[in-house]
This record gives sequence, C-alpha cells and structure tokens, in this order.
Amino acid sequence: MRRASATERMPPPVVALLASPLGALVRAVARIRASVHVKLLAGFLLFTRLFIAMTAVSLRTLTETARQTNLLDEAHERVGWSRQIEHALAMQMHFTAMALLSKDDDIVARILRENNRFNDTLARLEKAAPTEERALIQAIRGSQDDAMATVADIANAVRDGRLADAMTALRTRQEPLYAKIETLVGSLVAAEETRMASLRVSIAAASHYSLRVMAGFAVASIVLALLGGFVISWSFILPVREAHGFLSEVAEGRFGGTIVVPNRDEFGALAEHMNWMSRELRRLDDEQRVAAETLRSLNDRLALASRAKSEFLANMSHELRTPLNAILGFTEIMLDELYGEVPPTLREPLVDIQTNGRHLLRLINDVLDLSKIEAGRLELGVGEYSVQEIVEVVHASLKSLALEKGLAFTAGVSPDIPPAWGDGRRITQCLLNLAGNALKFTRQGRVDIEVRLDGEWLVYRVSDTGIGIPKDEVENIFAEFRQVDTTVTREYGGTGLGLSITKRLVELHGGRIGVESELGKGSRFFFTVPLRTDGGRA
Amino acid sequence: MRDRTVLHIEDNEYNRKIVRQLLSRTPYRLLEAADGEEGVAVAQRELPDLILMDVQLPKLSGLDATRLLRADPRTAHIPLVVVTSFALSGDDRRAMDAGASAYLAKPYSPRDLLTLIHKFLPEN
Ligand SMILES: Nc1ncnc2c1ncn2[C@@H]1O[C@H](COP(=O)(O)OP(=O)(O)OP(=O)(O)O)[C@@H](O)[C@H]1O
Ligand SMILES: [Mg+2]
Repeated sequence: MRRASATERMPPPVVALLASPLGALVRAVARIRASVHVKLLAGFLLFTRLFIAMTAVSLRTLTETARQTNLLDEAHERVGWSRQIEHALAMQMHFTAMALLSKDDDIVARILRENNRFNDTLARLEKAAPTEERALIQAIRGSQDDAMATVADIANAVRDGRLADAMTALRTRQEPLYAKIETLVGSLVAAEETRMASLRVSIAAASHYSLRVMAGFAVASIVLALLGGFVISWSFILPVREAHGFLSEVAEGRFGGTIVVPNRDEFGALAEHMNWMSRELRRLDDEQRVAAETLRSLNDRLALASRAKSEFLANMSHELRTPLNAILGFTEIMLDELYGEVPPTLREPLVDIQTNGRHLLRLINDVLDLSKIEAGRLELGVGEYSVQEIVEVVHASLKSLALEKGLAFTAGVSPDIPPAWGDGRRITQCLLNLAGNALKFTRQGRVDIEVRLDGEWLVYRVSDTGIGIPKDEVENIFAEFRQVDTTVTREYGGTGLGLSITKRLVELHGGRIGVESELGKGSRFFFTVPLRTDGGRA
Repeated sequence: MRDRTVLHIEDNEYNRKIVRQLLSRTPYRLLEAADGEEGVAVAQRELPDLILMDVQLPKLSGLDATRLLRADPRTAHIPLVVVTSFALSGDDRRAMDAGASAYLAKPYSPRDLLTLIHKFLPEN
C-alpha cells in the first residue's frame, strides 16, 4: 500500500530535471538548516548582487569610453589648430612675396600679425599637446623664429632698396625654413591623426567589450535566476506534494504512514508533526478497532443471551400453561356442577381461583408473546376476518366489567367495512388491551369503541373519560413494564405489558399506534392497520 | 342405536380427566389414547364417531396422526377436532391443511369443548 510518489502527476520536464544533478541540488537546498524566509532572502540577495556587479562593470566601461571620446575631441581640436598654423604660414609666405613685389611697408605689419596668430595658435597647441609632441612644437617655434628673423632681414633689404639681397634671402633662407616648418606641422598632424585612429579603435573595442559583458551578465542572470528559482521553489514544492499525498492517505482512513522529506526548515518541522499526528491517529484507530471488536463480540454474546432468554421464557410459559389449563378446566367444570352440586360457601373461593387463574394465564400469555416478538419468532396467522365480529367479541367480553363499574360502553363499526385480511386473533387481542385499559382507568363516564375505514386503512379507536396520561409519560407507556403511576396501577392491577405488545402486534401488521390524552379528562387511543395485509410475507 | 363414541387423544393425564368428567353426564362413550401411535391404532380398531386430537403428542404428532387417519379410507370420514395451541400461531391453519374438520385453541374452556362436541354429535 505504498503511497503515490510525490513525482506523480508532475510535468515530465520537471521529473527529468529532478532526476538530474539538479535534483541533488534541490535536496541539498532542502537540507540547509535555515528557515524558508532566510532561504528566499538569500536567493533574492544573490540576484541583487549580480545586478549590482553588472551595473558597476557597465558604469566603468561607460566612463572609460567617455574619457577616450574626450581625448579624441582634443586631438581633433589640435589637428584644427595645426591646420590654422599651416594657414598662417601660407599667409606669411604670401605676404612676404607681396612685400617684395609691392615694396609696401604695410605688408610687414600684416606679416607680423600673421606671425602673432601663428604663435598664439602654437602656444595653445603646445599647452594641449601630449609631451611626446612638445619637441616637435619646439622645433616649429625655433624655425618660425628663424623665419621671422629672415623676414626682418628681407624687410630691411626691401626698405634699403637691396632687392637682389632680399630676393636671395627669400629664396635661400626663407623658403627652406617655411618648407621645414610645413614638414614639421605635417608630421604633427600625422601624429595626431594616428592617435585619433588608435583612439577610435580603442573606443570601438571598449563598446564592443561592454556589449559582450552586458550580454554575458544578462545571460548569466537569466540562467542563474531560472536555476535558483527552480531549486528553491522545488525544495519547497516537493515536501508540499509529499504532504499532499500523505494527507490524502490519511483522509482515506489509512493511518500510520510516514512522510519523509529532506527539508530542515518549516516544511521539515511540518513533516515531523504530520508523522506524529499519523502515529497518534494510528494508535487511536487501533484502540477504536479493538474497542469496536470487543463491543461486537459483547454484542454477539448479548444477542445470543437475549435469544436464549427469550427461548427459555417461551418454553417456560408453555410449561406453565399446561398445568394452569388443567386448574382452570377443573375449576370450570366444578362451577358447572359436573362433580355435583357446589355448596354456596365454596362457590366464592372457586370463583376466586378462576379469576386469579385467568389473570395468571394472561400474564403468561403476555410474557410469551413478548419473548417471541423479541426473538423474532412471532408470526402472524393471516387470514380473512370480520371487523364487526372482532368488535362484537371484545364488547361482549368486557360488557359485564363496564356494567359492574357503572360505565357506559358502546361499540360502533361503520357499515361500509368489507372483510379484512390479517391476523384476526391478534387484532382482537389489541382491541381487548385498549378497551380493557380504558375500562380499567376510568371511574365514571364512558368508554367507546369505534372502527372506520380511511382509504386502505382500518382505524380502531377507543375513547374514555378516565384519568388521562401526563404529557411527559405519553412517550413511555408503550414500552415494556411501563406504568404511569405504580400506586394507581396497584389499585387497578396489571403489569404494564399490554400496550407494548399491542404496539408490536400493530407494527407487525404494518400499522401504527397512538394516543391523545388530557390528564383528568380522558384518553383516545387508536391504532391503524392496512385493510389487507399479509404480515410482511409476499 | 349404539352409543356414539368419542376418541380423546391427549398425553396430559389431567386434561383427559377433565374431558372424562365433562362427558360423564352425557350419553357418549369415551375412548382415550395417550400418544399419537396409540391414538391411530385405537381409531382404526374402534372407528369412533368423533376424534379429539391434541397437536403436541409423543411418538407421533397430532398433525401426522391426522394425516394418517385421513389417508385411511376407514377413518377418512370421521369428524376430527384438533386442539391447537394459541401460543403457536399458524397451528390452526396447519391443522386444517392436515385434514381436521375443526380446531379448538388451547386454553379452551370445557364449556366450549362440549358445545363443539354437540355440534358434531347432536344429542337426540
Ligand atoms: N386508557 C388509559 N387511561 C389512562 N392511562 C392509561 C390508559 N391506558 C394505559 N394507561 C397507562 O399506560 C400504562 C401501560 O398500559 P399497559 O396496558 O401497557 O399496562 P397495564 O394496563 O398497566 O398492565 P397490563 O396491560 O399488562 O395488564 C398503564 O399502566 C397506565 O398507566
Ligand atoms: Mg393494559
């Protein structure tokens, strides 16, 4: 009777995963001696840490990229300046040539202005330039100073009218100097461009790297989140499923099973408690079973004893009746003077013997009936009977008693009642009991018997104007040996069997018995039986 | 015409005595038997005019004795009253089924028995 395993009715992928090393991880997490709360918190903190790390790395990459972009901008600016320097140089050359052609003093001022601009730009460039370019700039400045000295010489020569000298100076000194400066500026620009190119490459590399890092982190967190989620949740779900199976078993009444979970958290504690409950249930169930078994055997023995008692009573009553019959028979033939004349002094004691003998016979009959009913051995002798006849017999046999007590006593049967089917003798017994009671418990007034047909049912009714029955006793009077008031009944006689036998006989016929009564005013007993009954036999 | 004969088959001595006393003042001749077998034998030998048969009898039960007598052509027509027990419901029907002419439930009053005998054997 092995309980359904917790893996039953689980999606196949989960079963497969639990069979993999992941299952071991699940059990390991379950075994961690920490509360569910702590485990969940730890799980969430792990993911949070991962996110923090990812943020830090991307921030660093971002700063680095920004710095390099900055450098690139600067280099770009420097290239601009170098171009300006080149421009200023060209202008100087141009103005110097112009000075030669136009012999204009004004030109010198322009050359100087260009020279100033050249120097300004160079100074800015120098300030911004990385150290390795300083030497180059120094060389440019040196050459420029030389060029300016030459310009001064040329200007003087022009002013003095030594045009040939000026021309020579321009050609031999000035032009080579400018060419040199141009070369220097060119190599400066080239250096910057190389730097820019390398910066661009490294920026691209950095952004590529950061992209990869981000993607890596994203994938890692997704995998980790799925894994962590799976492990933690199943470390909780498995014991819950186990518990579910276990509890269904208990609900089906199979106690004593145990639930095994690796958990050392609240679920573990829960499983502990369930096992305890299960053991306790098993113990109680066993105890109850033993008790039930004891009760059953006791019950069987009691039933057997009760049967034996009923049989004994039945046999006893039969044995008692045989001699009693003889006593009553002899008394009757004596009173009928079959043994000769009965002296007046003997007649009264003979009648007393007869009265008491009859009483004893009724008692024995009642006890016999009751014991047979209890042993389930009373069968109805069903046949056709006449309701009119029954009522007549009962009325006739009690008439003298009513007369003696001075009670009005009538019997009425509605004329439409057809021949009935049932145990006529038992019905007579029932009606005799009710009418006998009515006469017994009535001191003055009247007793009336009435029978009518209600559909398929015969309703027998006996009303009296007697002492009545207290409300709280009405339920009880149909039980064996129950009498309302023993002082009253001692006066009236009887044992309290009449009504209980009547009730059972009526029920054997498939009918019911009842009473309406008012204390001190009178009672109306009735019983109903089917017009036609086979007494339970088909 | 000879006296009419009544055969009383009954195992209880006192019950026999009562009937004996009951019939002592009548013109009927009384025969007695104390068990079923004897009863059947007497009935077949004497061919009485009326048989009173108790239900509970030693050796052969009253009902079986009744069936035997009914099966015998010599005794088949003899009126036969079975004395049944009120306590044992259904006895009366079984008695009629066995072939009884009438039944009388115990405890009976001797007066009632005499009435019944008169019914079957009217006194002239
Ligand atoms: N018509 C009635 N009026 C008042 N009380 C009644 C009436 N019929 C029955 N009882 C009460 O119900 C009790 C039970 O009645 P039941 O017939 O069972 O016993 P009983 O008459 O006392 O004795 P038994 O019938 O055995 O001789 C009576 O003792 C009596 O107290
Ligand atoms: Mg009563």
